[in-house]
Formats: sequence, C-alpha cells, structure tokens
Amino acid sequence: MKDLAIGVSGINAVDNPGPGVGVARSLKEAEDLNARIIGLAYDAMEPGIYMDWVVDRSFIMPYPSGDGAAYFDRLAFIRDQQGLDVLIPNLDAELPLYLKRVGELKDMGIATFLPSMEQFKLRGKDKLAEVAERMDIKLPKTKVCTSLDQLIAAVDELGLPVMVKGSFYKAYAAYTTTQAVSHFHALVAEWGYPVIVQSIVSGEELNVIGVGDGAGGSLGIVGIKKISVTALGKIWTGVTIKHRPMLDAANRFIRELKWRGPFELECIVKGDDVYLIEINPRFPAWVYFATGVGVNLPARLVRHALGVDQPLAPDYEAGKLFVRYSYELVTDMVKFQQAVTRGEVG
Amino acid sequence: MNRLSQLALSDEGFVFDPQTGDSFQVSETGMAVLRALKEGRSDEETAQQLVADFEVSLEEARRDCTDFRGQLKNFGLA
Amino acid sequence: MKRPYEKPVINKLRSGLMNKFGWSPAYARKVRTAIDGVSVDELCGQFGSPLFVYSERTARRTYRQMFNAFSTRYPNVEFGWSYKTNYLQAICALMHQEGSIAEVVSAMEYDKARLLGIPGEKIIFNGPHKPMAALEKAVVEGAVVNVDNLDEIVDLETVAKKLNRTVHVGMRLNLDAGIYPQWSRFGFNLESGQALDAAKRIARGGRLKLNGLHCHIGTFIMDPQAYAREITKMVKFGYELREAFGFEMESYDIGGGFPSKSRLKGVYLPPEVAIPGIDEFAEAITHAFSEALKPGDFPKLIIESGRAVIDEAGYLITSIVAAKRLADGTRAYVADGGVNLLFTAFWYKFNVELDREVGGINETSVIYGPLCMNIDAIDEGIQLPPLKRGTRLIFSPVGAYNNTQWLQFIEYRPNVVLVTESGEVEIIREAEDITDIQRRERLPKHLELKNGK
Ligand SMILES: Cc1ncc(COP(=O)(O)O)c(C=O)c1O
Repeated sequence: MKDLAIGVSGINAVDNPGPGVGVARSLKEAEDLNARIIGLAYDAMEPGIYMDWVVDRSFIMPYPSGDGAAYFDRLAFIRDQQGLDVLIPNLDAELPLYLKRVGELKDMGIATFLPSMEQFKLRGKDKLAEVAERMDIKLPKTKVCTSLDQLIAAVDELGLPVMVKGSFYKAYAAYTTTQAVSHFHALVAEWGYPVIVQSIVSGEELNVIGVGDGAGGSLGIVGIKKISVTALGKIWTGVTIKHRPMLDAANRFIRELKWRGPFELECIVKGDDVYLIEINPRFPAWVYFATGVGVNLPARLVRHALGVDQPLAPDYEAGKLFVRYSYELVTDMVKFQQAVTRGEVG
Repeated sequence: MNRLSQLALSDEGFVFDPQTGDSFQVSETGMAVLRALKEGRSDEETAQQLVADFEVSLEEARRDCTDFRGQLKNFGLA
Repeated sequence: MKRPYEKPVINKLRSGLMNKFGWSPAYARKVRTAIDGVSVDELCGQFGSPLFVYSERTARRTYRQMFNAFSTRYPNVEFGWSYKTNYLQAICALMHQEGSIAEVVSAMEYDKARLLGIPGEKIIFNGPHKPMAALEKAVVEGAVVNVDNLDEIVDLETVAKKLNRTVHVGMRLNLDAGIYPQWSRFGFNLESGQALDAAKRIARGGRLKLNGLHCHIGTFIMDPQAYAREITKMVKFGYELREAFGFEMESYDIGGGFPSKSRLKGVYLPPEVAIPGIDEFAEAITHAFSEALKPGDFPKLIIESGRAVIDEAGYLITSIVAAKRLADGTRAYVADGGVNLLFTAFWYKFNVELDREVGGINETSVIYGPLCMNIDAIDEGIQLPPLKRGTRLIFSPVGAYNNTQWLQFIEYRPNVVLVTESGEVEIIREAEDITDIQRRERLPKHLELKNGK
C-alpha cells in the first residue's frame, strides 16, 4: 500500500486523555497501512503534538463549536498540503459536525467510518432506554432533567446517591441533594440541557470496545475491566475479560442497531445482569489495550473504510494486563511557538 | 529594573518571559511598540514611531500606546 | 511605504486557550458590508445607528420553504402568522401576502390584524386574556377562538346567548410531548382528564360546539419527535370527542415553536449542526398526523410558527461608541444598541459581524449596550480584533420577538427598515423622538415649573 495520510483528533494525552494517541499508535503498528499520522489539535499544549514518533505532523483546528465552514476550510487546507486519505475523529464534541457533513468529506476525497446521525442520536443519554431494550439488557433508573425542579424531583425519586451526567460529557456522583444541584449547575453551564440523573447500581464496572461494520457484522470486540482508575475516573490499570452476557449484548448492539464505526459500551455487571451505563460513539482513550492483545481496531476500521480485504476479527485472551504509566519528554519552545503562531508543527 | 529588557521576542510575534515562564502572543504593531519600549523610548516617541511606519493618526497611536502599556502592566511586564 | 495599521495586542497564553484560531482573523471573524446588496454604510448614513434591517427576500424565502415543507406532505395546511413574534405592520402584511392568516393573543393584536384589513374569519384568537368586548367582537366577526380556561367558556356562552346562536370554538390543550418545561399554564391539560371535563362542560352547556384543537408545546423545540407525540395525542383526543359528544374536529393547530438558526446560550454546538432542518419537522409531523387520522379524514393542519419564519430576516446594526478596559484587563466595547433593543440577548448568543476587515489578533472582548444597568451585555466573551470607535457590529438573527419586546427604557427606539426584493430601502417604523415618549403624559397644573424652577 502507498503511504496513507490519516487524520486523528483527540491527541490530548493528558490526565483525562483523548483517544487520539492510542489510535495513532495502533495505526503506526499496522505496518501494511504505512500510516502517516496527521494530528488535529485544539490547543498548542496537546501532548500528541510533541510526540513525533506517533504523530508525524500536527495542525491546530478551529473549534468544532464554531462555524463549520471554517473547520472544513481548514481540513481542505490540510488535505491540499499533506494529503488526507482517512479521518478518525475521536472527540464527542466533533462528531455532530462530522456526521452532518459526512457527504462533504466524501466529496473532498476523505474517507471516514462513522455512525449515522440516527445512531448517534440513539446513544444520547436521554435515549438509552430504547437502546438497552433493543440490546436486551438493563438500564439503571434514569431521569432526564431540564430544570432544577425536575432535578430535585428526580433525586427524591431515585434516592441518593445518584450520578448526575451532562448531555455530552462528564458524570459526577452526588451523595447529597446539594451536591447534585451544584453538579447540575456546572453541567448546564458547560454543556447545556438536558442533564441526566441516574441511580447508582453497585456491581463490577466492565467495558467493551468494538467496531461495527454498519451491516450488523463486527470488526472485533474486546471486553475489559478497569482495575484501578485515576481521580478523574480514567483507567490506570485494567485486565481483559470474557463476560459472556456482556459480550453477547455488545454483539446484539452491533447487530440490532447495525452500528457503524467505533464504540465503547460502559456497563455495570452484577452476576449475569448487565446494566448499560453509557455508549460512546467513538474509540475510548484506552483503545490501545485492544491493539495490544491483537485486536487492532483502528487499523481494521481503516482497512474496512477503504474496502481492503482483511481476515475475520481475531479473538483475544482473557487475563492480559493493561498498565498505563507516566513518562516525560523534553523539547524546546520552538514547536510550541510554531503551534501558537503558525498553527502547525512538524 | 526594566522587566521588558529581559523578554525574548521572536519575529513571529511570540514572546517568552524567562523570569516567570509566561508566553505571550503579540500582534505586529504590538511587537513594534514592545521593541520601542524595550529600548527605553517614551510613549510619545513610540506613538510617533508607529505613525512613521503605519497608516495611523497620531491621536489613535497615542491612545493605543497607552492602552498597550496598560496591558503590559496588567501582565506584570511594566 | 507605510504599512496598514492594526491596533497593538498582547495576549497571555493560557493552557486550554492556546488555539491559533481563537485569535486568527481568517477563521474567527466575520465581515458583512451589505444586507441584500445595500451597503451597511449607506444604510446607516441614511437611517442612522442603531438600525433594524429586515430582508424581504429572506423573509419570503423562509416562509415559502417552510410552507412547502408541510404542504407538499399534507394536502390541507394553513399557516397562522404569530403576531407576537413580530407585529410590525409591514412584516404582518408580508406574511399575509404569502397566504398566512393571523394568529393573535390579545385584544391589541386582534385590533392590529383588523386594521391591516384581515377579516375576522382569517384570525385565530388565542391567549389567556380575552376581554369580554374583544371576545364578543371576535365571535361576531367569525374569528377562530381557542378557549383557554373554564371562565372563558362561561364568557363565550354568554356571548352565544346574547347572539342567540351556536358558537364554534376551538380548545387549547396542554400535554406531555416530552418537552420541558411543559407549558401547562395555557389551556386544558390532556393527560389529567381536565380537557375531557371541559369538553363535557361545553357539551352540557349546549351553546358552544368544539370544532378544533389547539396546542403549543413551547418555543425553540429541537426535537421533531415532540411534535409527532403532540399531534398523535391531539388526534386521538379529537376522535374521543367525536365519539363522546359528536364534536367534529375540522382543524388541528399544533402551534409554533420551531427553532431558528440561532445559537442558544449554553448550547455548545453551532446551530447548523444542532438544529434539525424544517423538513425533518414537517416529515415527523405529517407522518404522525397521517398515521393517527382515520382513512379519508383530512382536517386542516394549522401551524403558528413565528421565530423560525422571521428570525433570520432581521439584523440589528449598531456602532461602537467607546472602547474600554475592565479592571481585569478585558477589552470592552459600548455599542449604541443593547438589550433594550435585543430582548432575545437573554437567550441567544448572536452571530456578530463587523462592517469591515480588521487586522490583528483577536482578544476576548465584551460587548455592552448603552443602558446604565449591569444586565446590558450583548456578548460577554467574544473573540474580536481591537476595534476602533465607529466600527459597526451587525447582530443576527434578530427578527423574532425583538421588535415586540424591546424596551422603552432611557433610549429612543431606532428606525426599522426593510430592504425590498427589488433592492429599495423602505422605512417600516420611524425612529422615535421625544413626542412619542411624552404624548400620553399629562402634567398637573401645580407641577408645572416656572422658568425652570
Ligand atoms: C399560541 C402560540 N402560538 C405560536 C407561538 C409562536 O411560537 P414560535 O415563535 O416559537 O414559533 C407562540 C409563542 O409563544 C404561542 O404562544
């Protein structure tokens, strides 16, 4: 294969990491792809910009919350300058923009493999009940709130403690109504309405990562358990697992919804009962875990998007360990300066 | 001590303060003002320099120099 | 040769805000030199600043797009122009020319529609306050009256008795369409059985006949399915009324509430992405309507859209009268128009365009209006290059609810002009002067000041 220019966003490998660096690293390890990684960043301090062994060249992007035209102008600029064969957006906040203009990307000659708008909406936290039913799994009691009154009523009804969640991002546990109210205000200020209140189910927190082919078939799934998490709730150590009911539910998710593209399911498992907590319509930050156990999902997604034949999804072993660690690099200010003044580095 | 004299200025409008570790982005005219101040020129001289180099009235240049100096003060640079 | 000037700017780099495009002129800044081909300079030169400008072309195009979205999917559609959204005569007349009837919610709006020459039978009379005289006039003139409460049923029966005839009325419902907050203070609640009780009461009274149902689930509704739920419930109730009382529903009025392409505060995504197109709404509504109706039934589908029809046709041009620095160093501008003219500033983050190219890097800036009150901020965090006094800021979309909810407070309200389809500029509301403010006032004799004392 000729060299492939692949755009990857979310290269903010910080304490609350984006998935971009894991995606980029997975792509680099798929030698057949011969991938050249174009990092798309929103801030000059995103670590991926400086990790030149993973990200070949980085560009600062206009915010996806701004004028979509500016965003797409920038993509066209990058394509003209660097080539851009495939694009893997990794941030929730970018997805609506990409989904709405997926046709334009195609016209620009940029391949993607994303869920449809309908699928994307289904994963909204206010629609989870419907999805859980189609997957034939349970859902913790959930209330969708658009006012403080409703929030308080919901907390009363569900009983403390509860999880208070934003429509896009962020989830907080609240042990008192006062806490729930302050989380509510913080979430509304940042992400708008609605805010979701969920009762807390106790059990094991298990996750599945996968990619659906859009026709009901799977390009691979891997189940894991987080052994330890950071103060922000991000995985620090984990282990692969094979919880049958959960993996079956994930396969039903792919089959019933004809899910297209990457996803992460966050579940709580209590015996054989599986509760759906959240669907992320993108790779999770720990995507490299799957790659490390032989299921290179980003590479499989790229091959599929480009129509390249590949073998069936490989299996993985339970009991493989994931250890995240911190490490530092030292460089000089020039790259930072370039990111600030020119908006591109590399 | 003139804090300004220690600043590292790049042509691209990037300014680094080695004493505090702060970085700044500065516009083209901002760089011109900063250089003039760094050389110890007065606001009036700086404004006149702007008028000589750019299409701007003395009145506007004076006002902007005052404002810019206010910003430097705000960032602890003057 | 002298170089073009831009004001000097220094920005401190802060983690999380180090995005070149936050500062870049090329990506973050929008310039508008003309509205429908008429230059902003010329407009302000002739009509002053601030200045409301409406585009006739945009208004008509939006109306037609919306009407077509529904009428191509269902054979019996009527639009009622929501006067409260914008009752400038020129705007109402334009909507009526396009084929809309009038939807009014007060005696004043009713009078406005009649003065424009709209006959009673082309007026829908909604709202919680319909004074007896207005109610009687509306009934006599054949308006569609949608009953809001039990007391109004009594009033209408009184009118019917006086006229000695049966009066046809519609009923305003409120219902759970999955939209919060639920506008339950208007009309009769469906789920609790209140609406059915009211219908019983109407049937028992014998003087009124229900022939239509009305509902309005809220404003800026982003979920097309909410309307599907609304209309499904309405039709089901309509058939219950036929079954129970023999009332035949000739129309279903689903109200307004469709969003315009504007950005609500607190919503992260741009409107182009976040807001479904009108076709999505029309599809959901007509589909659910057809599903709910019995074969062969084609009652009238009435839509009272306000915001979505007119918002984008309106602009407000303002001028910067002063630039200042706040105590924390933030750049602030004072514009000659603020929340006194832009009531919707409390909810919207407007699209802000400059009347000229301005170079230099952007700073986080605040735009204040002219009022002497803290609430008068139109934008409390916008990336702008340093602007000179006199630079014009053009706010949009502002066509909905501003020219009806604007405040008199301390300023004169400015000219409102219409750029016609042929490119002429017509004043549709003259700027106020002191006589407008004083005309209704009376100064008692003993308070008259002699020689200024
Ligand atoms: C009864 C009724 N109809 C129509 C409207 C128009 O709503 P919108 O401008 O959101 O379309 C309103 C607005 O409050 C209303 O109360």
